[in-house]
Amino acid sequence: MKLELDKLAKSYGEVLVLDRVSLCLDDINSLVFIGPSGGGKTTLLRLIAGLEQPDSGTILINDKPIEYRSAECLREYRKKIGMVFQAYNLFPHLTALQNITLPLVKVHGYTESRAQEEALILLERFQLADQALKKPAQLSGGQKQRIAICRAVAIRPEFLLLDEPTSALDPEYTSEVLDLIGELRDDGMRLILVTHEMGFARQAADYLVFVGDGGLIAQGTPAELFETESDERVSRFLNKVLKYT
Amino acid sequence: MNILYEKEGDNNRTAHICSWALVALILAAVFWYGFSQLSYHFAWGTIYDYRMNFLKGYGMTLLISLFALVFSLFLGILFGLGQNSRILPLRYLSIFYVELVRGTPLLVQILLFFYVIANAAGINNRFVVGVLIMALFSGAYIAEIIRGGVQSVAESQRETALSLGFTPYQSYRYIIFPQVMTRILPALAGQLASLIKDSSLLSVIAIKEFTMAAREMNSNTFSTMEAYIPLAIGYLLLTLPISRLTRILERKFSYET
Repeated sequence: MKLELDKLAKSYGEVLVLDRVSLCLDDINSLVFIGPSGGGKTTLLRLIAGLEQPDSGTILINDKPIEYRSAECLREYRKKIGMVFQAYNLFPHLTALQNITLPLVKVHGYTESRAQEEALILLERFQLADQALKKPAQLSGGQKQRIAICRAVAIRPEFLLLDEPTSALDPEYTSEVLDLIGELRDDGMRLILVTHEMGFARQAADYLVFVGDGGLIAQGTPAELFETESDERVSRFLNKVLKYT
Repeated sequence: MNILYEKEGDNNRTAHICSWALVALILAAVFWYGFSQLSYHFAWGTIYDYRMNFLKGYGMTLLISLFALVFSLFLGILFGLGQNSRILPLRYLSIFYVELVRGTPLLVQILLFFYVIANAAGINNRFVVGVLIMALFSGAYIAEIIRGGVQSVAESQRETALSLGFTPYQSYRYIIFPQVMTRILPALAGQLASLIKDSSLLSVIAIKEFTMAAREMNSNTFSTMEAYIPLAIGYLLLTLPISRLTRILERKFSYET
């Protein structure tokens, strides 16, 4: 997957979150954004997801720009990507299974029975089949997030966007979610991930980008970024987050 | 033995029954004292002569309330959603409607509607007028209930629907509305109870509903108490089950948050 950011800018009111960010990655399979809170990494991910509009600049994916102006184009674009949120965002009135099948049926035109088949294959694969008929309120955090990932994967997206998928979880559930993401990655699912899990970032990323102070402070393969201390802000951040691991 | 306090984690049935009885007794005593000071001679025979009037009125009140509830649901959905519509005339119409109806007394609305609007529109059927007035009145309150309900569904749900490629219509139809409905059911049941009580004001335009039956009997026989006490009981027989239902609905859907 080719990802290109061209002088991307975004501000909320007075606060400039991204200040003309540019990036060009030719062939990327798993891209991880790291960096301090409020540094702009989630905003960057939401721009790529088509959930926010940039003030200026463009994003090109495989040389095709995201058309923010047209609601129709934007919807077609969103149909091809999977998005996973920090707070799972499952639909509370639907069962785990229905959470996965509803978009398949209503957005992607599957028949009900085929959607169920597809969903059950996924749930089976990730040992969630027993939870299929439960409502989100009856599931643990880890189960909820894994169902949410199944929902995003079920539509066979071109790539998966994950916004701090483990930040809202108890530590005991973090690894089950990370395992699932790792498994998807090994299967060839392309992903762009925002995370604070440095161990996982290092292991799963082809390429790491350190986002902070409204820009891209450092970037490179995990080895480059973790071992060579390029920028003082990066090493200060890494020292802090790695202190107790 | 403790009969007045509820202790945490203690299922003390006797205490509940005792306290319930105590309150009922005090209320009964207050009423009894009040009536004894009145030195009023009850003639319960009169209401028997007017029983058909009362029953017909009761049926009329029920019918008006039910029709008005259905109709006011439509109005409530339309104007509840309309308040956040991108179609600006609809938005302002909704805001005007809700604020005007909620900001003026029902009595004034009934008289204005009956003598001005219904008259000009040539609606002579009083039942229809009654249903329309109550629907318009209740619709404004339901609009607020629905607007609040839609707002209470987190923005993140809307965003998630969007990110999955749902159209705005689909996200309302499959994601937001089902959640709103379960949340506002208790409030809607409460609104039905209000509707039943508020419809008593329709007697001012001589619609033969429940309260009108009592007013008629009172003016013909001067048996005020014999007319109004059954009236109160009649309304309670309708509204108490509804408020019970409201409690049950509240409990049933509270787990979802």
